[in-house]
Formats: sequence, structure tokens, C-alpha cells
Amino acid sequence: MVSMKVYIKGVGMTKFGVDRKSSHERICEVIGECLKSTDMNFDDIDVIFASNSESERNEERQKHQGPMLSTLFQREMPILNVPAGCAGGGVALWNSINYLRSSDCKNIMVIGYDNIVSLTSEIITDEILMGSERICEQTEGLNFPAQNALVAQQYMMKYGATSDDLALIALKNHENAFDNPKAMFYKKKVTLDMIKKSPVVASPLRLFDCSISVNGAAAAIISKDPGNIEIIGSGMCTTSLSPIERKDMTSMSSTIKAAKTAYEQAGIKPEDLDIAELHDAFTPLELLSYEDLGFAKKGHGAELIRDGTTKINGSLPVNTSGGLKAKGHPISPTGLAQIYEISKQMKNECGKRQINKPKYGLAQNVGGVGTMAAVHILKNLN
Amino acid sequence: MYYVKGVGMTKFGVHSKTSQELCYEAVMEALEDANMQLSDIDQIIISKGDSLHDGERQRLFQGVLSNILGCEDIPIFRVTAACSGGGSAFWDAVHSGKKNVLVLGVEKLSPCLTKYLTDEFMMAAERIYEQTEGLNFPAQNALVAQQYMIKYGATSDDLALIALKNHENAFDNPKAKFYKKKVTLDMIKKSPVVASPLRLFDCSISVDGAAAAIISKDKTDIKIAGSSLYAGRLSTFESPDMSTWEATVLAAKDAYNEAGVTHEDIDFVEVHDAFTPVELLSYEDLGFAKKGQGPKLIRDGTTKINGSLPVNTSGGLKAKGHPVSATGVSQIYEIVRQMRGRCDKRQLDRTRTGLAHNVGGAGSTVTVHILKNLGG
Amino acid sequence: MIVRWVCEKDNRKWIYPIKKCLYCGEPVKKQVGRKTKVIGLTKVNIPSPLHPITPYNIILLEDEFGNRMPKKTMKDYKIGDVYSIEKAKTDSAVIITKIKYDLGESLKESLNLLNSFDIEKQDKVLIKPCIIEPAYPYQTSNTSPKLLDEIIKMLKDMGVSDIIVGDQAMPGNDTTASAKKSGILDVCKKNDIPLVDLRKSQYIEKTEDGMKFSIAKEIMERKVINVPVMKTNSQLGVSGAMENMLRVVDENTQMEMFAVDIEKTLPKLIKALPKFVTIGDATIGMHAQGPTLLGEPAFMNMLFISKDPVALDSAFSEVGMLPTPEYIKEATGINEYDAYVKKLEIVGDELEAARYHLKVPDKTASAHPRIKLIDAKSNPLVFYTALKASSKLVGLPGHEINIAMGKFLTEEMVNGKKRIIAYGTDAINKLKELNITPIAEVPEDMGDIEKLTLLKSILENPDKKSVSVKDKMKSKLAGLGAKIKGAF
Repeated sequence: MVSMKVYIKGVGMTKFGVDRKSSHERICEVIGECLKSTDMNFDDIDVIFASNSESERNEERQKHQGPMLSTLFQREMPILNVPAGCAGGGVALWNSINYLRSSDCKNIMVIGYDNIVSLTSEIITDEILMGSERICEQTEGLNFPAQNALVAQQYMMKYGATSDDLALIALKNHENAFDNPKAMFYKKKVTLDMIKKSPVVASPLRLFDCSISVNGAAAAIISKDPGNIEIIGSGMCTTSLSPIERKDMTSMSSTIKAAKTAYEQAGIKPEDLDIAELHDAFTPLELLSYEDLGFAKKGHGAELIRDGTTKINGSLPVNTSGGLKAKGHPISPTGLAQIYEISKQMKNECGKRQINKPKYGLAQNVGGVGTMAAVHILKNLN
Repeated sequence: MYYVKGVGMTKFGVHSKTSQELCYEAVMEALEDANMQLSDIDQIIISKGDSLHDGERQRLFQGVLSNILGCEDIPIFRVTAACSGGGSAFWDAVHSGKKNVLVLGVEKLSPCLTKYLTDEFMMAAERIYEQTEGLNFPAQNALVAQQYMIKYGATSDDLALIALKNHENAFDNPKAKFYKKKVTLDMIKKSPVVASPLRLFDCSISVDGAAAAIISKDKTDIKIAGSSLYAGRLSTFESPDMSTWEATVLAAKDAYNEAGVTHEDIDFVEVHDAFTPVELLSYEDLGFAKKGQGPKLIRDGTTKINGSLPVNTSGGLKAKGHPVSATGVSQIYEIVRQMRGRCDKRQLDRTRTGLAHNVGGAGSTVTVHILKNLGG
Repeated sequence: MIVRWVCEKDNRKWIYPIKKCLYCGEPVKKQVGRKTKVIGLTKVNIPSPLHPITPYNIILLEDEFGNRMPKKTMKDYKIGDVYSIEKAKTDSAVIITKIKYDLGESLKESLNLLNSFDIEKQDKVLIKPCIIEPAYPYQTSNTSPKLLDEIIKMLKDMGVSDIIVGDQAMPGNDTTASAKKSGILDVCKKNDIPLVDLRKSQYIEKTEDGMKFSIAKEIMERKVINVPVMKTNSQLGVSGAMENMLRVVDENTQMEMFAVDIEKTLPKLIKALPKFVTIGDATIGMHAQGPTLLGEPAFMNMLFISKDPVALDSAFSEVGMLPTPEYIKEATGINEYDAYVKKLEIVGDELEAARYHLKVPDKTASAHPRIKLIDAKSNPLVFYTALKASSKLVGLPGHEINIAMGKFLTEEMVNGKKRIIAYGTDAINKLKELNITPIAEVPEDMGDIEKLTLLKSILENPDKKSVSVKDKMKSKLAGLGAKIKGAF
């Protein structure tokens, strides 16, 4: 059983948006931010795990990320790319933790970066479509919003949740992002009316139920050297690709299993959590995750948003960063941006979004429609 | 400390099977070889490139694998590192901390038109300096080969001898693309020029295939004594000496240190000969010859199957085939089979210590694994 | 020219532009090598989508600092040869540059290759970018703000102090709003340079070859640097140096030019204008359904520079492997276009080595898959409002309709087409002349909402043969309703 403790030494993140910087610039920016809050030098990093979708159609056309980073850093060192769709950041982090515990190295940097918004929206939709099952889903036009729409519909039919509940989740995340300088929707007001009246993308999901594709990068440094934030639980699990073939479409078994591993390692229960960053690629996913992560019983997830439990002033604030919905979803960096938010909250550096002394935080990063999930639990040692 | 339990591999060649079927075949063979069930596996690492043009258009292959193998409870994830995907996945598995890990490499390249395949490989080169100037994969290696030949006086004849050796070995390897296909020195020397000075028979062939290996913390007869990975520079023209691949040198040094051996202790090697000059360079970078002395090893027959340091008894990438991500794991397959005495006509006598060398791009990511035969 | 970024303290060299060394934090220095020789070469025989023409050679160059770089060339070199780029000899030379990470250096190096730059520090300069519609920089309808910034920086380094940026958006779009969204306004503000809306300029009349042009006075009074985005154009074929200068004349002249025949009048306009230098922005460039947002980014990463806009557009058309537009052929004034291309003076990267397959636009396509266009060189007001209407109807199911526009419609063009809508007075009159009854006649001054409602009703109903009075009333009411709502 793993016994070595893993600490987070530094985190970094670019502002998520549709700017035209190159990935090189973003990577240098986040590494600078990561190292700034530590006393480490770039030379102290032993291994790098990267996460990048390696798209063929964006202007970077790069299928061999490790050496690209080696050239950028002018240093030969172990670097490996661990792509996993939207769960890239979380899976790369989970893999790094395993590596750290099984080897002699001391410091590992995990970087996620993606440059997806440089194409027309049709091509972006197609790129993400390639994450669905080829024969059963891609051919039937089941693009990403459509998959989530079917899952949402099954949930609503089974447990009586409504589009209003989804709208409340979107509103909460937008309210949080309003005060997050790194978010796409920073200082951009979004009202409940705007959300409810937005055009239908794949019924019953509207435009404001879907997270926005942006460009960005995020990084974290994990280390065996003691620091202020410890990763006490880390789990990852993979299930079937298509949500349609699962027995229960309203539950993501990958999240449940990954969370179980993480809770067991951490030795805590869901009730002990003070903050959570969940994967709300689409608002129904956040609703489902409340239940899969044990915050609410099956079918009772909607209560948490209706009674304000998961709002920023509630007893378990969810997505104080704005979540994927309002912060932006640049695919691979997302998981690491969640770690960034929790770290910043634990260090009391969140300005207007600061919640009161969080001790235990959870980050859930999902790939596809629950195909993979990586769950991390952090503990504040401050 | 990890040990190899079982290995499995499909025949490399042009298949009409889908990647799902190839995976299944390789994994089943590995499980049988290891005498294990799928439920014993704690983690699966797969390496697969995803191309727009291979007809499969499947990004999240992990999910597909979960379906094929019926595993819903364990972590399955993917790593990519161009041609060194297999070796990188193996390296990651050896450092995963889990009890039983399945490593899988699979690739389906035959449906792609040649021009798209060339384009895919070109995307492993640097975008602004290399891709825009037409530096596709053969061209990158051609320039490196040329620099080597100018500096040390090697010739195209040396490259042809390497290709011949590998084809002779593959003739007896039932899993190789060129199994029972005779290739003569004349055919090699007269093949059309792809990117001067490299000819068609200097380049490995892109095929379909899958290979799997199961490693475990339980003791078996084959120990993974050394495992290292280094990412070097992306573009070949950046390093001061283009005829040395720094990443190989560093990875080999680390692996030798970890295994407590030197190059003299290695009995046989699986070298990454994506292009024949790479095998030549690797003789030196892995420490088997001094700088510039590589050609001697092929000229005097040292690296032939009956020589003192057999290289690529499987046929290498050249004659066995090169399904990008599966190659690294297929090298482990060959080493394990040799150590367990299952190579028939290609069987070597001395198989105590073997080395697998997997490269991505033009010396960009390099993995070196050293395996020790404890079976005696 | 080979550029490296060097940290002297750590003795490291980067091939990417970084500002500070990642290890010691000190600023890095740029190292530019100009004396290059060939140290390796290979002849490649296998084609790929980006490099379709084989065989081609790749030479490995090394400069005086030991830095290396590969280069594609069609010429045969030997190892040891010196590699140098000759300067342009004539005013009609076109400089093609593949940009290598440093846009500023590439720009400076390329301008140095002109036989003469013809702008001095006491001159008053107008930079004329392409600002046609509100679009983000990554959508490439408008000139890249980075390139604009580098050009301004270059001029200021030369000592030029009187610089303005001026353009006119497409009919129906606001120039300032377009400049804001595309990032160009920010660049102007950062450099303290005014953005002039040429729509509001004073105009000076000039006659050329029997045609009157009202040209913005800034063009006549200042030295002009034309900075178009190199794009395909679904009407004209190519939008480059010449098409970008269309918007320096007032809208009446533009309409008149289309009314006469844009393919004949655009070359005349170029002749009427004073000489200018063009820096063609192909840092991304656009292909497929250009030149507006319907097009796709081409990621060409090149610059096309010339003092001769006709030569520049020809070179771009050749590099992009596009069918040569008629107006470019007309502008050369030579009957044998192939001979003209062979004689083009190309400096910098070779034409053959720079070939880059661009997608040819489909002349009949609009934003909606069921709305087809039959365009006979209609003027911008008609053409682009039709495209805008089609994009507003995207997402609605429907049955094929054909929108006929322009006064050059022929019987051949409309033959066999069903459900034709005559859009614009030119089309309405021309179809009457040809004795063809369209399903509906839509004049260009019809209100937006009214137009959309009418189009929608025809699109959705497959059996509609003509528009009834009821339909017209419905759409009129919808239009009025929108106006009333807007007023509140």
C-alpha cells in the first residue's frame, strides 16, 4: 500500500479565453507562476508529465509533445504525454502521483495545455465528436452535447429534476466566475433569464448548459518535500465509452469507483469536505456528480442546488472558480485548473471568492461522458 | 521491482481486423502466457496514436478497451509518444506501483493513404522549422544519416547490410511482416530512393499490429532490471552533434546504472531501426561501439544472429514491421520469448541479459529497458 | 537568416522566442545569423498533403554561430555551397517569406529584400489593413493585430512619426466596432495612433480609363502601406492586395464599379491609385468560403510583400494552387497569363517550395446547406447581406432555394434551377428581361426581419410556387413588429 506523502508545492494557470497566443507562451507563463510561489528552480524538476490532446487540425500540428517541451525547456529529461480527452489534467496528475511514489525522484511537474479555439466551431465539434464511439454514436450524430442531453433526460425522467435545476447550477457557476480573474466570464454578468432563454443546443440542454471551449494552460508541481497542501487521496477508474450501454445511465460508475479509492486513501467521508471542484462540462453532469461523489443520495442531487448547499456561502461550495461552465473548458488543462482553485482557496488567495478556511477539498475530472474519472482529495496543512 | 509474467502479440502486417480485434488477440495471448485472468489485472496502460484518417476516428480508446475486455473497475489510460509509445507505456507501468499491470500497444495504419501517413509522421517533427520545409520522417533521418556518413565514412553499403541482416532474421519469425519472404542484397541496393541517401529498403514499413505484456510484482523468471525514459530535442538540427542522439546516451546510462550492468554484460538487443542509419547510430549511443566505429559491428558480423551480440533477432522494425505504438512492446515480446526458449529457428544460446531500445521521432523520446533472465 | 534566443549566463540556446531564461530568470538575447552555408542535403521523393509536388530538396543550413536550419528548395545545391538570398531587382518583385517564430525579424528581413522601400522618416504614412467585419483575431477575416503592431514598431524605429491606420468596413458593418473586436483598435491605442474610418473621409475624384473614382483623400496625400489578409473569395476567387484597395473609394463608387463589371474596373482602380507597397498578411490566411467568417483559417504562416499588387496577387494565387481569377488576368494587361507567371520575379522563398494547397471556394454555397447562391458579380451590399441572411437561417430545416443576384445573370446560370428568389434590383430587372418568373422578388432595401421572414416561409414550404399577398403582409408585419420592439 502506498505510504509516501505527496505535497503540492506550486500551481499556475493562464487566464482562460480565446486569445491567439501560442502554447509555448502559455506554458512558459504557467511554469513561471508555479515556480514563483516556491523556492525551487526549474532544474529541481525531475520528471514532467504533460497532457495535450494532440489535435491534427489546429495550427500546432504536433504529435510528439514530450520532445517539444524538451526543446522549449532546453533540457533532456523524462517527459511523457498522457492525453485523456477532458480528463487529461486529472489523469496526468494521478499518474504522476503513482510515479512519484514508485521511484526515487523528488519533484514532478504536471502541465496541461490545449489550443483548440483556432478552428471553426464545426471542426471543434468534430474533434470532440471523435471522443464518442465510432460505430454506434458518431455515425448517428451523437455529438458531445447530444450524449449529455440523453443522460440528462434519463435523469429527469427518473428523479423529477427539471431544466430549472440545471439553470440554477449554471447561474451559481457564473456568479462565482464573476470574481475569478482567470475565468472566461470574469466580470461578465449572466442572469437567470439569459440562461433560461438561451437557444437549445440538444434538447433539453440549452447554450448556457454547455461549457465553453477556450484555450489555456495549467500546471502543478508535486513533491516529496513537505509543503502546505497534501494530496491525501487519488483515484482513477475507466468504464465503457458510451453512456448508452451502461446499466444505469444516470450514474457514472467511473466517478463512484475513483471517489471510493480516493476517500479510502484519504480516510475521510464526503461530509468532511469543505470545498469541491466538479466537472460541469454540462450542467447535468454536476447534478449527477453530487450523487456519485456521495454528497447526496441517489435522486436527491437537485436538493443541494435548490437549498443553496453548493453555493459559495453554503455548507459545501461547489465550483467556486466558476467551474467548466463559466471559467472555460480548454480540455486538457481543466483538471489542473481545479487543483489550482482548491490550492488557492487553501492558501487564502481567492479575493472576493474566498471561502472560510477550507481543510479538505475534492477535485473531480471526467473524460467523455463518464468514460474516465480522476478524483483527488487535498488537505490543507496551514 | 517488477517481473514479466506473460507477453502476447498479433502478427504484424496488413490486417482487415479493427484495432479492437487486434487488441483482443494480443491481450488474450498475453493472459494465456501469464496463466492469469483479466480480473487479476489492476491497471492497464495503452499506447495508441489517434489519426484522423485511419477510418476509426476514435479518440478515447481507453473506453473502447474497457468495453472489449469487459473491465469496468480498473484505471485504464493512454500515453502517446509517437513511435516510442510502447516503450513509454512500459516505462510508466514499471513505475506505477500497482501489483499486476497490463501494457498494450496497438496501431492501425493500413487504411491510411500513404500521403496521409507521411503527413501523420511529419506531425512528430517541429512545426515551424521542419514541417513547413517538407522535412518528413524519412527526410529527417536522411539528413542525420548524411551527417554521420560525412563525419565517419560509413556508406550506403553498411546500411544495406543492416537491412539484409534484419530481413534474414524476420524470415523465420512467424509474427513478422516479412516472414518467409526472401529479400536479397540486390533488391535492397536497387530499391527506389525515398529521401536521398535512404532507399525504400532503408525505411521500416508501416503496418497494423498489437502487442501486450503483463508485468507483476510477483517474482517470475524474468526481471525488469533497468527502465529509463528521456525526452530529447524535437528537431534533429538543434543538437551540436547531429550524429549522436543524446537522449539514447542518457537513457542507456540510467538503465545500465539501475540494472548494475555495463554494455559488455548485454547478450542480445532489440534496437529501434525505424531507418537503418538509426540502428548504426544506436550501436554507438548504447555503448556497444566507440563513436564512429558502429559500421565495424555490422561489417564483421558481430550483430548478426550467430555473432557475439545479436541485434534484432525478431527482424527489427525494418522486417518485422512498425505499427508505431505497438513496436516498443513487441521488442519486450521478443526478448521474453528468447529468454524462455521459444524462438525455434531464431533461438539464441546466450539470453541472460537483454536490452530493448525504443525511439520516438528522430531521437526525440528514447526508452531503454534491460531485462535479466533468472531462469538460468 | 537563422534566429536563436540565447541565455549567455547559462549557455543555453532556444529555437523559440522566450523572454526570460527559465533557469536564471535573466532576459535572453537574440542571435541572428546571416552567413549560411549548406552542410547537408536530401532529395525527397514522397509527397504529403502539405508538400504535394515531388521531388523536392531539403538543404541543411549552418550559420556563422553554428546554428542550423533546414530549408526546402527546388534547386540543386552541393554540400559546401554558400546560401544567400538575392535582393529584388525590379519594382514588380514579390517577396515570399515563411515566418519562423519571430514575426518582427521576418518582416524586417523581407522588407530589406525589396529593391527600395520608398518610405522615409519625414513621410506621412497611412497603414491600410483589412477591417471588414467584427470578428475575433483567430477567425482571420481581419488583419492580424500582431502584424499591425510589428509594422508600426518598424516604422517608429525608422523615425516615422506621422502614422495613421485607416479602413472602411464592408457595407452594413461599423468600422470601429470591427476594429475593436479584431484587436486592431487596441493596437492603435497602445501605439498612440489614430484609427480613421475612411467612410467618413473627404473624397477626391480621379478619372482613369473613362471611369470616375472617388478616392479617400488620405490615400492621395500619404504614403500607403496596404496590409490585406490573403484569402480566397467565393465571388472573385482571391481577396488580396487589389481587393483590399476596393474599400478606399466611397460606397457609391464601389456600387458603380460592380455595376459596370468589377473584374474590369478593379484593375482600373489600381491604375488610378498612387504607388503603394503591400505587406500581404498570410500569417494565418483564409481559404474555403472566404473572405468573411464563413471561411476557414489556412495556417499558411507566410508573408507576401511587393510594390506591385498585381504581381503579389498572382504569386499568392499560384502558391495557393488556386484557379487564377479573371480580374488578375485582366490586370496583368497581357494575353498570355502563363508567360506572365513564368516571368514573375520571386525573391526569398521559392514559389515552388512555398506551394500550399488551399481549398477552392464553392461559388454556390452559403451558410445554410439548402440555400444556394446564383451570383453574377453582384455588389457587396447585395452579396454580403444575402450571406448574412443565410447564416441567420442556419439551423432551420428546409428545402432548396436559389438566390439569384447581380445584373450579369444569364439564362444558362438559372437554367434548370427551381425555386429562384430574385434578390436585389439588378437581379429583379435582369430576370424580367430574361422572361423568368422567380418565386419572390426581394429588393435590397427590404428590412432585415421582413426579409428573413419571407425567406423562411419559402425555405420551409417545399410546395410554394410563389409568394402570396398574405405572405408579404405577414413578413411586413414581422418587420414592423421588430421596429416597434426596438424602439422601446
